[in-house]
Amino acid sequence: MTESSPQPELSVIVPFYNEEDNIVRMHAAIIGALEPLGTSFEMVFVDDGSRDRTLERAIDLARSDSRVRVVKFRRNYGQTPAMAAGIEQAHGKVLVTMDGDLQNDPADIGHFLAKIEEGNDIVVGWRHNRQDKLVSRKIPSRIANWLIGRVTGVPIKDNGCSLKAYRAALIKQIPLYSEMHRFIPAMASIAGPRIAEIKVRHHARQFGKSKYGLSRIYKVLLDLMVIKTVASFTSRPLLWFTLLALPLLLLGLFAIGYSLAGWLEAPGPLPLPIAGSGVILFVGGLIMVCSGVLGELIYKLGDLREHQFARLTQKVRSADRG
Amino acid sequence: MDSPATMLGPEVSVIVPVGERQADAVRLHAEYKASLDSLGRDYEIIYVLDGPRREYSDALHGLIERGERITVVSLTRQFGEATALMAGFEHSSGRVIVTLPAYHQIVGDGIGKLVAALGDCDIAVGRRWPRAGSVLERMRRGLFHRLLGWITGVRLNDLGCGARAFSRRVLEEIQLYGDQHRFLAVLAERQGFVVHEVDVAQSKDDRFTGLYGPRDYARGLLDIFTVFFLVRFTKKPLRFFGMVGLTIFGIGSLLVVWLIAEKLLLGQGLAGRPALLLSTLLVVLGLQLFALGLLGELIIFTHARAIKDYQIERVIQFSRPSSQDRAVR
Repeated sequence: MTESSPQPELSVIVPFYNEEDNIVRMHAAIIGALEPLGTSFEMVFVDDGSRDRTLERAIDLARSDSRVRVVKFRRNYGQTPAMAAGIEQAHGKVLVTMDGDLQNDPADIGHFLAKIEEGNDIVVGWRHNRQDKLVSRKIPSRIANWLIGRVTGVPIKDNGCSLKAYRAALIKQIPLYSEMHRFIPAMASIAGPRIAEIKVRHHARQFGKSKYGLSRIYKVLLDLMVIKTVASFTSRPLLWFTLLALPLLLLGLFAIGYSLAGWLEAPGPLPLPIAGSGVILFVGGLIMVCSGVLGELIYKLGDLREHQFARLTQKVRSADRG
Repeated sequence: MDSPATMLGPEVSVIVPVGERQADAVRLHAEYKASLDSLGRDYEIIYVLDGPRREYSDALHGLIERGERITVVSLTRQFGEATALMAGFEHSSGRVIVTLPAYHQIVGDGIGKLVAALGDCDIAVGRRWPRAGSVLERMRRGLFHRLLGWITGVRLNDLGCGARAFSRRVLEEIQLYGDQHRFLAVLAERQGFVVHEVDVAQSKDDRFTGLYGPRDYARGLLDIFTVFFLVRFTKKPLRFFGMVGLTIFGIGSLLVVWLIAEKLLLGQGLAGRPALLLSTLLVVLGLQLFALGLLGELIIFTHARAIKDYQIERVIQFSRPSSQDRAVR
């Protein structure tokens, strides 16, 4: 790809799915918010396989504004792939992601930039006066956020808020897949970033209709289990699997020892159920440790390297201070 | 790509994988050639011999000696039709790829219909219609495809039809192996390609007269199982292993709790309970399945950048005054 302009300071990434009413307003709102700041910026609009006129509107915008880049998906993939594609295609030094439904206010972007300049790597929005239904949206979300904070150790009040800002060098290294956009801060914690959270405005939907429901809670719970394992133990799978196997091994040894002790006291046939259970537990534990060894192999052959993250944060920091 | 002639290349590449089932090469070639000629487009025909097929190979060389323009690709051993297709694809240069079975399955003029259908879709798959077969046979087929549609969300009616036409991009993005050629349309649809089913007339020689044995049913089930995993869980292994593992673990733990409660409340010694063996076995197996799921997640996570779960069709940006698409793809 030929680079026509120098690297902009800021990329605003907005995924759109059937938002023909909102995309033009969004564009105007972003320009209205960013032009007074005086930084160079670009907009990456991701069309997530919309079936209405969103794409045509986006191309019209791109035709009149060279700062707009439109990324077209062949079909609807969902929010995480849309965000990931936007991040992949953005050239800015700082990336801001937001929803295409006008519920986030581009006027807040300035605060995010200020926080990034303070030295944070990730700035997360918090919709403190959320304009959504209480029972179906707010309460499940509060429980989920509490749980995510507990499990991942990254306490954030509002993981669901799409308005976030990242240092590009950091976020481009974080693998985003499945429905991980809700966990980007937790995923990013493998790189040890500095995370700040600021309050943002939140508007009720004006046009179009909301695309989420209660059904996603179940998926969030499963993803949470995945995130815990990959984010905290990827680089040392053997340790993680040994930890899992430890209770099995100990219990197995205990049962074997118990039955042997009984046999020493009164020699005779070993009590099969207890001795057998002991052997099963112990061998099961051993197999799990072996899985850990396999895990080490997988990690070694994978394309993810922890030292990449280490080097990366150092570079970011020194560039900042310098 | 050294001479201009090969750089231009033919417009349509026809790939014929030759496997176990095959018809007389000369007659088949003549039939395909007649209908391809009537397309009025420049084309090439590539035969891929899946394994040593001496007779067929001799027949093809006979055709070459008679001046037919065909390419023959031979594989060292039998790899399966999907691999044969990929091998043929590597040797092809057409913008449009057409796959045809090595036996009389469809009437020749179906090819033209398939290629014409590409105008408003990325991949056109043949559906033999009207189709011969008994009531039982039709029911079996209907059940299979309905089940598959329910699992994958892609409703197709004739996966067994080897006649397909698609744009080159489809196989550039989808790596087939084993038996997956049958699911090309399903996998393509999951990648966001537009799939159309086109009715083509069934050849008279395609009549199946025997009865399907248990082996065919088992194979059908296995196919569904394969696609189920390919589509649902290849990116989320823990969702599958975790579900199965936790269920087994749960049953095992309930048993253990019950046994312990009986010992504590009723004083029934654990040493005399063979059920203890069963329950520990279930607990350990459940945990191990879960651990397998974690291993799977680890594989996905460490390769997440190589296995993208989206495809960008194109990137559109206009540089200042001109109105040129700066398309990446």
